[in-house]
Amino acid sequence: MSNNENNPQVLLVDDSIDVHRLLTARLRHEQIRLVGLTRGAEALEQVRKDPPSVILLDLDMPDMDGFEVLRALKDDQSTNNIPVIVLSGLHGSEDKVTAFDLGATDYVTKPFDLAELRARLRAALRLDRLLKLLAERADVDGLTGLGNRAHFNKRWAEKVAECRRYGHALSLAIIDIDFFKKVNDTFGHPAGDEVIQGVARLLQTTCRSPDVPCRFGGEEFALIMPNTGPRDAEMVVERLREAMMQIEWPRHPDHKVTLSVGLVGSDSSCGDVTGEQWLEMADQNLYSAKHGGRNRVVASDIQRACALNRAA
Amino acid sequence: MATNRNPGPVGGGALSSEFAGDPEMTDLVKMFVDEMPQRVDAMLDCWEKGQLGDLRRLAHQLKGASGGYGFPTVGQLAAQLETGLAAAGRAPDPQALDRLRAQVDELVGMCRRVTAEPPSGA
Repeated sequence: MSNNENNPQVLLVDDSIDVHRLLTARLRHEQIRLVGLTRGAEALEQVRKDPPSVILLDLDMPDMDGFEVLRALKDDQSTNNIPVIVLSGLHGSEDKVTAFDLGATDYVTKPFDLAELRARLRAALRLDRLLKLLAERADVDGLTGLGNRAHFNKRWAEKVAECRRYGHALSLAIIDIDFFKKVNDTFGHPAGDEVIQGVARLLQTTCRSPDVPCRFGGEEFALIMPNTGPRDAEMVVERLREAMMQIEWPRHPDHKVTLSVGLVGSDSSCGDVTGEQWLEMADQNLYSAKHGGRNRVVASDIQRACALNRAA
Repeated sequence: MATNRNPGPVGGGALSSEFAGDPEMTDLVKMFVDEMPQRVDAMLDCWEKGQLGDLRRLAHQLKGASGGYGFPTVGQLAAQLETGLAAAGRAPDPQALDRLRAQVDELVGMCRRVTAEPPSGA
């Protein structure tokens, strides 16, 4: 079951069944889903499978103690941001310092005051929400609301890996606004921003739900089209190009803006073609579209494009 | 490491939970109290077999849980035993063993006094 923002999962790791029973009863009015485990190794496995919003972690446990669990959590990029509240009967300041140095968010000593524990848990849940929001914002382009280059890099790596592993079709379009500098120089930067936002809106309305539109940088956009071979992808971007020509811009109603598109795709596994090679090929096609007179789509099959490139 | 398994009536009266009147805790306290004889047996087993590491873990768990169930005095004695065991190390000398035996007896005695009933007169 995945983590849900309205009912976040809290993982309790403690070797004492009495503590599990107590917290299950005492936290039942909180808006959380409490999952309990008694062993550190099991907890690490569970966290990687279904990351919780907060971990309540005992230190003194057999086999793998809480310090080891904490170290493993913080060494793993996929789990190192999960807030960890240490619940421990170890009262020494040395243990507290070690726990905080290893990355614990908070330290509560047993026997704990339930009201205080609830308040600390709520604070850790708030921290988790803020960290997630920050991570989301870091991937969003401020002007358009589309994913930014960092977001593209992540998603693109995933999709290329899927294409290789499972033989899924995949296409990538690099879309560039023609003569964008002229729009900026002639009508001013606000007009340029409006064009960029307009292209982003168009991408959002023209794309299908699995497609991933991103602002690649400046006046360039990238469109990842999963499960889509080059022919279907070409239809999608042709639709986009034609729709762009229909837009009337309030700041320059007599000046139409067009798009050039470099597209590459594969109907099946892309073999050993790397993500970078895909980008290079899409860029080459964009270059051809620009040199062919702009306002056009140049598309090719990635395998064929790579073979031609090798032969050249 | 002999100790008295059935020491007869313990000193002091029944020890009620601080949460005896809390409806949210009634069933939990009862379960905690019902399971106390097993905990006591487990601690005495460890003591008799000289398994001081295991005894320390049981004392540690009791220390952590007892306060939450409204028995802080049990938790305090469990904490003293845990500290005593940690200080005594793996091979305690006879004097340390005597001290530990007294601590085990005191904790066991306190554990045997716990009750899920509210304090008399409450």
